Parts: sequence; C-alpha cells; structure tokens
Amino acid sequence: MNFLRWTTSKSVMAPIGASPDAGSSDQEIPDLELIKACQGGDSRAFESLVTRHRGKVYAMVQNMIKNEADAWDLSQEVFLKVWKALPKFEARAKFSTWLYRITHNVVYDWLRKRKIDGAGELDDGVLNQSDIAAGARTSPAYQARPDEALQNSELGSKINRALATLNTEHRETIVLREVQGLDYKEIAKVMECSLGTVMSRLYYARKKLQSLLSDEKGTN
Amino acid sequence: MKKEQTEELFVKWVDGRLNNEEQSQLDELFAADPELEAELTGAKEVTAVLQSEIPKSVEPPYPDFFNSQLMRKVDLEIAAQRPAEKAARWWESLRWAWAPVGALALVLAFFAGQRMSPQGNGGLADRGTADSSEKSEELPNVYFAEKSLTAEVIADADGNVSAIVVEGITAISDDIDFARADRTTSLPARYLQSEERRLQ
Repeated sequence: MNFLRWTTSKSVMAPIGASPDAGSSDQEIPDLELIKACQGGDSRAFESLVTRHRGKVYAMVQNMIKNEADAWDLSQEVFLKVWKALPKFEARAKFSTWLYRITHNVVYDWLRKRKIDGAGELDDGVLNQSDIAAGARTSPAYQARPDEALQNSELGSKINRALATLNTEHRETIVLREVQGLDYKEIAKVMECSLGTVMSRLYYARKKLQSLLSDEKGTN
Repeated sequence: MKKEQTEELFVKWVDGRLNNEEQSQLDELFAADPELEAELTGAKEVTAVLQSEIPKSVEPPYPDFFNSQLMRKVDLEIAAQRPAEKAARWWESLRWAWAPVGALALVLAFFAGQRMSPQGNGGLADRGTADSSEKSEELPNVYFAEKSLTAEVIADADGNVSAIVVEGITAISDDIDFARADRTTSLPARYLQSEERRLQ
C-alpha cells in the first residue's frame, strides 16, 4: 500500500501535526483493560489501542527510516503483528515497551530486506546515512534532496539530517531515549542488548550529534 | 577507571541521573580535564534540543484511513483463523467413528496381553472354546463389553499358534463418507440400533 508515494507528502503532514492524544476519546480506559478486551477478540478495543498509540509508532518508524510512505506501511505492519501477538502478551513488561520492541523488529526486518534487495544498486534513500561510525571526523556530509533543502534553515530539519547520519543502532537509541523518553533498561529490552551497550551507544550517538550540529552552525 | 564506566558516568550526568558517589567520581575527572565539563555541557544542550524539536508522537497521514485499512487486515486475519477452528471441530466430530475401531483394538490388545501371561485370566468370563481340555488353561479369555459379540479361540495342538474369531462386529460400509459424518444418515441401521440398545 504505497499510494502515499504519489502524494505531496509534506502538505499531507502539515495540517495533521503531532498530537499525542489525537483521536483518543477513550483515553481514560487503561491500556491493560483494552488489551484484555482485545485478547477476548474485541477488535473495537484494538482500534482504540491503535488510535492511542499509532502516533508514537509512526513517529518512531519515521525517525528510523525517514520515508513517510514506508513509515505508514510499516506502522500498519507493526499493529497487525501486535494484533497477532496480543494473545501471548502477559503484561510482564509495559505495553509501550513491548510495542516498541515489535516496532524495532519490523523496522530492522525492513532495513535488512532493503539491504538485500538493493545490494549493488545505488540507493539514495538510505545509502551513506546508516553506515557511518559515530564520532568519525572524516564522515561524508549528507546531501539533502531538493525538497529537504528548502527546510535547511530550520533547526528541526538540521537535527533530522544529523540523525539520518547516525547508524541505525545509534539513531534508534537516541530516539528511544531523547524522543520517546524510555529509560536505559527499557531501551535494552527493546533493542535486546546489554545496559552497557545502551550506555555506549548513547554516549557515542550524542557525541556524534554534537559534532554534526556544531559543524552545521559553522557552515551556516 | 574503565572506558565503559566513564561513558556511563557521562551519559548519566547528561541525563541528571548521577548519585552522590558517581558525581564525586565525575568531579575528579572534571578536575583532571577542564575541557570535559564543557564538552558534556554541549551534549546536554543537544539532548535538550532533540527533546524540544522532535515530536514524540506524529499522527500518520490520513489517520482514519490508517485505522480502517488496519481493521480490514485484522478482519481478514480473524476470517483466516476460522477455517482452522472449523477443521478442528470436524476432527472432533469424527471421534465417534473411531469407537468400533477402538473396541477392536482393545480386544486385540487384551489378547496380546494374555499371550504374554497365559496363566492369568483376570477373573473374566471365558467365552472361548479350545480343541483340547489340557490346553484350556493356556488359552486366552476374551471379554467384550458388547454382549452380542462372540469369540472362538482356536489353537494348534502345541499351543504355539492361536487365533480368535470374533463374530457380531458391525461391518463398516465402504460408502460411509467420514468427511460428512452424520450420525443419522450415514451409519448402518444395525450399528445405530446397537448403539441405542447400549445407551438404554
């Protein structure tokens, strides 16, 4: 379902904006109650759960892959996997941590598949952005597409470009920590790695971002 | 101090999560390297910028369509699960058809058990006949829950080979369609009558 590739994506995004509570009229019902209803086969409860969490999932995927149409499709895939896996959810972890774990798997599967499919081809979407070591002084500058160049003066787009330069693991760690606000242990669970690895990734990702953003200041 | 430990201290300092002991360890590092604090302060600013500039939640384009598309897929998923459940019920409905087969297997198993311990008769009624009274103790007893069944045990003179001939088992017709198993139409009338008698 990639119809969004044919739309002017920026204008689509603008009026909707970022609203964490958008569409969640039943915000007062706890996640766990909705989950229990879903486990009993209540698809309407599931739709409420989707409405409540779709913004976070979409933002996470979008920050990881930097492509709206694919982010839309992958977010759908995330929630379909959630529906299939919900009967096994035992509430040992927080629902949001479990949701991010599924999101992580879907995104990594997609990136892996894309890497295999695109082997040997020039891919201007992901190439050069995901394989640069954090802290590398001689890393090539990311070349913005013309539509992105229009936004270069904005701080948000500078940050987005800096994020795109990080490798996948560092980018995900930073997004989970700084944007989604997960604690170190939750990040370790989502990314299935040790606490020490989380600390190391955070340290190097921050250092790299700091370097990239100060370079941007210097060039502008 | 190990590299991993210093990295952890730096990360926690940026997040404001150091305890007193960790803070004093970091203060020592700051004292040894005056540029370190400035560097970490820069990282703290980057963190603040990220938190303020990147939204935690962004509604996907066409959020209503997002939901309707997803729920369509969920409905398809639910529909795809139903045939599997139906198949399970279909197998359950075939259980009764295995009853006569099971009864026969029970008889044969019992016979096999008797062959292994020929002395034991387990107090069961002896429905068998033998061609030699001397060998009768070695012949197996055959027991049926269904009284209409009879058995004849035939053994050779040495008692090494024997056979049981069971009479009265309802034949299973070749035209029974197990896939459309219907207790009222597909089963032979004789079988149904014996079942009714048994249940009474």
